[in-house]
Amino acid sequence: MNPWMHYLVWPLVKFLVAFIIVQGIVAAMNWVERRLLGFVQARLGPNRVGPKGLLQIIADPVKFLLKEDIVPANAETIAYFLGPILPLIPTFLVYCLIPFGPPPTFVAARVNVAVLLVLALTSTGVYGIILGGWASNNKYSLMGGLRSAAQMVSYEVPFGLSIVGVLMLSGSLDLVKIVNYQADHIWNLFPQLIAAFIFFVAMTAETNRTPFDLPEADSELVGGYHTEYSAMKFAFFMLAEYSAMLVNCCLMTLLFLGGWTLAIGGYGLTTQTLQHMGIPGGMLGVLIFIVKVMTFMLVYIWFRATFPRFRFDQLMDLGWKWMIPLALANIVVTGVVVLLGQSLNFQGEVVLSIAGAAIVGYTLYNLRPRAKVVHASRVSEV
Amino acid sequence: MIEYAVFFFFAAVAVIFALMVVLHRNPVVGALALVASFFALAVMYVLLEAPFLAALQVIVYAGAIMVLFLFVIMLLNLQKQSEEPTRPLQQFLGYAGSAAFGIGLVYYLSKYAVMELPAGPFIADARTVGIRLFEAYIFPFEMVSILLLAAIVGALLLSGVRMEERT
Amino acid sequence: MIPTHWFLILSAILFAIGVCGVLTRKNGITIFMSIELMVNAVNLTFLAYARQFHQIHGLIFVFFVMAIAAAEAAVGLAIFISLFHHRATIDVDEANLMRW
Repeated sequence: MNPWMHYLVWPLVKFLVAFIIVQGIVAAMNWVERRLLGFVQARLGPNRVGPKGLLQIIADPVKFLLKEDIVPANAETIAYFLGPILPLIPTFLVYCLIPFGPPPTFVAARVNVAVLLVLALTSTGVYGIILGGWASNNKYSLMGGLRSAAQMVSYEVPFGLSIVGVLMLSGSLDLVKIVNYQADHIWNLFPQLIAAFIFFVAMTAETNRTPFDLPEADSELVGGYHTEYSAMKFAFFMLAEYSAMLVNCCLMTLLFLGGWTLAIGGYGLTTQTLQHMGIPGGMLGVLIFIVKVMTFMLVYIWFRATFPRFRFDQLMDLGWKWMIPLALANIVVTGVVVLLGQSLNFQGEVVLSIAGAAIVGYTLYNLRPRAKVVHASRVSEV
Repeated sequence: MIEYAVFFFFAAVAVIFALMVVLHRNPVVGALALVASFFALAVMYVLLEAPFLAALQVIVYAGAIMVLFLFVIMLLNLQKQSEEPTRPLQQFLGYAGSAAFGIGLVYYLSKYAVMELPAGPFIADARTVGIRLFEAYIFPFEMVSILLLAAIVGALLLSGVRMEERT
Repeated sequence: MIPTHWFLILSAILFAIGVCGVLTRKNGITIFMSIELMVNAVNLTFLAYARQFHQIHGLIFVFFVMAIAAAEAAVGLAIFISLFHHRATIDVDEANLMRW
């Protein structure tokens, strides 16, 4: 094949297709989120524009485009413009690296250090928020930006550490190989249960979503880092946030839920099976992938409807005193079990899965509904 | 050919933004320029067939260290601090000296450091680096972990956490 | 393949710029950023020679330099915060108590 076609044109076409689909999903997610929040909170949500309010997906961008673009008087002009645009670039670049279906058709760029590159790119998303918050020349915005910087640097650590266990099991940094490994053995969710939990919490914190939305806490900081932003610039912030959510859900699916495969121990829809089925197989793989990703997006929204916001010191305590030690313990345990499994010839995944199940069982047992105990000194108050 | 284009473009980016770090009065702009310079250097690492270290460069420098710098600059509100030139002679000597140093270095390198690249591919992926790191360099690796621990304790102590205040 | 001396020249230029920043600026944070720039220039040299001589040691040195730079950034910025609390400035000319 012509190298230009192979290295430039095809990846670009793939990236553009993925980009357009992702943007469609992001626009639709806004509507889904509002309807779902309405459902949870026993109200209707947007239902006026079009059937079931579906045309809201188009109405919102039109409104963003037509609104007046206000720049505060003493803003740092260049930084103010760069703020909303900068976080978009790394988030969109990540879509080149994510395999949406069985290779080679559905991967724009297959890199052998893909996990590291994705981590690197997502870790730079914080600059836009810091910059936007600082350039607005507003105390609340600055507070939002500072909080965001501290929060994202803190949660970067458990975010990265929780992946290490997965890398040890699958022995590769290539996302495609990690997915194939899971299809041949078992979804990493089971042996790496604690890591999956940490990863999900850390990724919620990384994207500034409730219950970790302190950078934009409306009750304390008006709107946080985007207080002074209006019209299209505000829309860019939202776009970056939702794109980052989608990227994180894709990563979660690839690392812990077997990506586009639906197989266990090599039986079922593995990558080879899908590749043998040709184009329909590829489409099926993408469909499976999208269903898994969407499940996590809905969990995100469910989180938002359920949990109240953390206080900032609670957030830091959770990150540094719980998440990081837990992630480190997980690495040690996984490493020991994998090594023992190699030398004593047993499946490390099975042992880790049983241990994970035991932990979940114990936690659920401790959280079971119990009769309320009233302390003797407070009986008179009741 | 395309490699040269990439190299010269990103070399220019690295140098221009590095100059901005040194010459711009506003430390926020300086920090952001340094981030851009580090990104250009990460591209250089990719050209040098070390994509693993390029990813590390972006994660460690752009993702963590520079966020810390920006955080401190904004926390202390330093962008309004003016910097009057108090010692013009020393400053001139600084500029002239560093320029002479740079020019001399470039001259020397372009005259004496021209070497033929050896044939054969250079394999420097994450696996090779990792194996070497944990076999030959295990002792320095542990030392670095202790150093990082010391840095954490030192930073906590210096930035004003008083133990008696916390009770 | 780009020859090694191009990378060395780029590294030399960046190092000289870093030296210039350390010598001429008085803002502590800017000086610190110039030091980081010099450290990165050295990293580039390490990697260039690692490829030239097919030695993996250069890469491992860069790895250590990055770890040490992280530790240095944490301690250095803590020092500047402490200095700011005492003097309300991070001008390095003001920090002259230990000078003589």
